[in-house]
Amino acid sequence: MKVGFVGYPPDKIMEEYRSEDLVDLDNDLGQVEERDDLYLPKVSCSVIKRVFNNALAIRPQKIIFDVGEGKCDSGRFLSWILREHFGMEIVETRNVNRKSHGTVICDSRLSLLKKFDLILNNIVEPKDYNLTKEPHPKAGFWSVPCWDKRIFDLFPDGTKIFGWTRCFENSTPEDLELECHVDKDIPTVFYAQTFCSKNILAKNLARVYKGLYVDCDGRMTASVRAQIEAFMYLRGAVK
Amino acid sequence: MTVFADFGSTWSKVVDPSVKIIKTKELPRDIIVDFACGHNSENKSRRCVNELIALSEGGLRLIDEKDFLLVDVGSRDIKYVLYEDSQFAETGWNQECGASQGFAIELLEMYYGLDCNQLDPPGECYPVPCGLIGISRIFDEIIKTGDERMAVSRFIKGIALNVYHFTGKPKKMYLSGGLCENRLFIESLPCEVVPLGRLVLIEGLKEIYRKDNRSQGL
Repeated sequence: MKVGFVGYPPDKIMEEYRSEDLVDLDNDLGQVEERDDLYLPKVSCSVIKRVFNNALAIRPQKIIFDVGEGKCDSGRFLSWILREHFGMEIVETRNVNRKSHGTVICDSRLSLLKKFDLILNNIVEPKDYNLTKEPHPKAGFWSVPCWDKRIFDLFPDGTKIFGWTRCFENSTPEDLELECHVDKDIPTVFYAQTFCSKNILAKNLARVYKGLYVDCDGRMTASVRAQIEAFMYLRGAVK
Repeated sequence: MTVFADFGSTWSKVVDPSVKIIKTKELPRDIIVDFACGHNSENKSRRCVNELIALSEGGLRLIDEKDFLLVDVGSRDIKYVLYEDSQFAETGWNQECGASQGFAIELLEMYYGLDCNQLDPPGECYPVPCGLIGISRIFDEIIKTGDERMAVSRFIKGIALNVYHFTGKPKKMYLSGGLCENRLFIESLPCEVVPLGRLVLIEGLKEIYRKDNRSQGL
């Protein structure tokens, strides 16, 4: 049975479906028909649009949809619409776990692309990793998983991950304290998808920690790329 | 001889070492310079430099202050760098919304036969979220009042206020780009403005070139 999931549902629920064909609907699943323009307002974030398009294209028999504080109101409303208007079977969850699983991937020496892949795959196939910690990270990246993965290429290996992605690895997706934790001495890019409410956090954390705030609607633009490259260079994270 | 160029979307500045300001659409198709930044510069230069880095280096060379905000208003975008206590503090580049900045002004001057240096800043302005929406407000006002000069002045003040808000409502800004030659735009900004001209990014490129030579012992 194909089972979709959205956000980070509780581990206990995921365990029940471990033997099924689990599909992360937040992720890029390749070419799917884009129907969001018919049903969703333009001011929906790219990830919400992607979840919607993936759900309609893949039509999983069931979707485990985390609608708690670890996701967002747009996700909660989308979950309702998929059930009520598109007849999908939805299992709504609220992941309130506060038992820390640790952040070895976020803190490791790996590239950002590899880190994000490991963190996101870990929900489907959980593994414990024994990775060397980067003792002197040159840069930080505060974000949710990005729509456009090309952004990861702009950061040096060992870039430390903060924000919701850190909460995700730690198995505590609604932990706001952890989400707002940043190492103040590391030049950090605060990235949010355009129209996502996390922009409020990103802009203010960037102001307080002298980081770079960028919001990006889906595909990375030339100006976002140039800002990140310049920030990294001018703050000495890259040569 | 080292040739530097700042390839803007509508105007290009080439220094070889004489200064040439050329419409970008009239650039020789096969032009290759040594150091460049801007529009398509990766295909037109031996070394392409990030525009914000060029702006930054230009500011450090031209501005003798520890704290400064340097803003470059181009044909279609706004870029800025902020330095505090001689350290890079912040940057921003608005290329998507609020675009069509300098180019929209240039088109309006040409179409209505106006010279912005002969216009005074108006008391009121339009909110100009982008050039196209702003232009539709101009047409509305001209239909209503028949006063083209006032309509265009209000639009330009709206663009100036966009720049002011995007750069964090500063008390003082150093200005780079073609709008340094536009009195109406400068006087519409509600802060102290120091115009540095159109060659700030070129000065940045030269500075990077000098640093490269020094690091190679040349």
